[in-house]
Amino acid sequence: MDMLIFEVGIAVALITLTGLISAKLRFSVIPFYILIGMAVGPHAPQIGIVDLRFIESSEFIEFMGRLGILFLLFYLGLEFSVSRLMKSGKAILTGGMFYVGLNFASGLLLGWFMELPLKETLVVCGIMTSSSTAIVAKVLVDLKRTANPETEIIMGMIMFDDLFIAIHISILTGLVLSGATSFLSVLLVSLSALLFIVLFLIIGRKCIKYIDKALNIKSSELFLLTVMTLLFLVAGFSETLHVAEAIGALMMGLVLGESRHASRIEHQIMPFKDFFGAIFFFSFGLTIEPSTLGGAVGMTVIAVILTIASNYGAGMIAGRLSGMSPRASLNVGFTLVSRGEFSIIMANIGKAGGLMASIQSFAVLYVLILAVLGPILTKESPWIYSQYARLRKRMRGKETG
Amino acid sequence: MHFKETDLPGIGRKYWLHTRSGEHLVIVIHNDERRDLFHMESGDSPEELGDMVSLVTLDDDEARAVAAIVGGMTYKPTFQDEREVMLEGLLIEWLRIEPHSESIGRTIGELNIRQATGAVILAVVEKNRTKQFNPGPDYIFTAGATVVVAGERDQIKLLKQLLSNGRL
Repeated sequence: MDMLIFEVGIAVALITLTGLISAKLRFSVIPFYILIGMAVGPHAPQIGIVDLRFIESSEFIEFMGRLGILFLLFYLGLEFSVSRLMKSGKAILTGGMFYVGLNFASGLLLGWFMELPLKETLVVCGIMTSSSTAIVAKVLVDLKRTANPETEIIMGMIMFDDLFIAIHISILTGLVLSGATSFLSVLLVSLSALLFIVLFLIIGRKCIKYIDKALNIKSSELFLLTVMTLLFLVAGFSETLHVAEAIGALMMGLVLGESRHASRIEHQIMPFKDFFGAIFFFSFGLTIEPSTLGGAVGMTVIAVILTIASNYGAGMIAGRLSGMSPRASLNVGFTLVSRGEFSIIMANIGKAGGLMASIQSFAVLYVLILAVLGPILTKESPWIYSQYARLRKRMRGKETG
Repeated sequence: MHFKETDLPGIGRKYWLHTRSGEHLVIVIHNDERRDLFHMESGDSPEELGDMVSLVTLDDDEARAVAAIVGGMTYKPTFQDEREVMLEGLLIEWLRIEPHSESIGRTIGELNIRQATGAVILAVVEKNRTKQFNPGPDYIFTAGATVVVAGERDQIKLLKQLLSNGRL
């Protein structure tokens, strides 16, 4: 009996239900999608016709999740254009550099401390450097902080971070996925990947007039089909040059983000992003065997502490650079703590390249903790600041009195 | 007057106005068309933003309606429905002559509008948008025309009845 559609239906029902519950509890939905994916899977029971093992459908759910990454990153590209980043100002660029630098360094530190090989260390660096745009944007809106002056800085820094991660992923895929062994061939693959990205973006920018003209399509059906064609062809073609398909999708988004039709494209893609994106987090959870996570707890705890510390530092620096109050600067650092989609994409690359399995477990725990802790730190940052200010006042009082 | 505009990538676009009366108004237009209107306190200096005083969230429809009211545009009739303006008992209304109205083909004098209802007809805008101000007693009503009338609420109610039934 073919139960494929029914199984996918159950998966979607589970995702929806957890989403509704976490929204009711006012939590970010992403960690819950992963958790529910982990809760079911091959080790789960089968109740009547409801097969929670998802054996028949796992391949399809995985494919839908793969589409989810494409849509998530394509959408991100539409929103985060390079010209917007250039316009955002020097303070954000410098702050972003400090942010990326500190987080990357803490990844290197962790890799060195855990005695990981080079490839694994670089994957860990990527996992630890990538803030979750989806979670941060949602938390800022939910907490009604969009009017605050530090919000521009936060989103600007995230934009910088995402573009850095895109380049990091492209280098990493050369290193991890191409199968190249010698240092020279790795370098060659990575450089050609980078060259492809840069050329694509430059040519895309030059051709935007023609793309605009080609997209002057009244019928929304044909418009959508054209956009999808561009997205899938570019993403798929990128893979042949060892540029992850996700990065191909991001690049296509960056190019189309400069188009006159950008907001129409965003509008049409958003439902796909929401649906397949949710399935992506679920399918990621599905691939995790919960019992294997125990071994990565120590490493994760260290990583979480390192991340919070380096985010605090980067937030303070970025805040000071743009003349923010210490309170707003603390907001910047703590808001950026959330980790999510990019960290998971990074872990998936590690998995595809056959790296140590413990990296995967580490990524799961790390993302789960910070996807929950990040929004909490964001929310409580004013309270933490007031405690800190009180403490300082008392210390000062003791010194003088 | 100076609006400071900034992008909030991933969220939308932000407009910040420091008003002449010294208050801060921040408008965020979300990518999903929602509008947030923040009234913010001043920070350490009057030009700086402080904490939020209040927030109103509007959806697309509401935002458009508010924009029209704030911009003073709702006083312009849209020729589709009646709009009314009230000035201390005096009411100005835009009435449409419906296609089945009994007054079509008859004149203002014939219907004896001023004497019968007390309301006056200030102007008429025909379906083809030609305007006629202060039409005389020999003006003939046509289908689809919009009549601008003034009077008290009761008088206008009578006039509506007269226009649609041809009698009171």
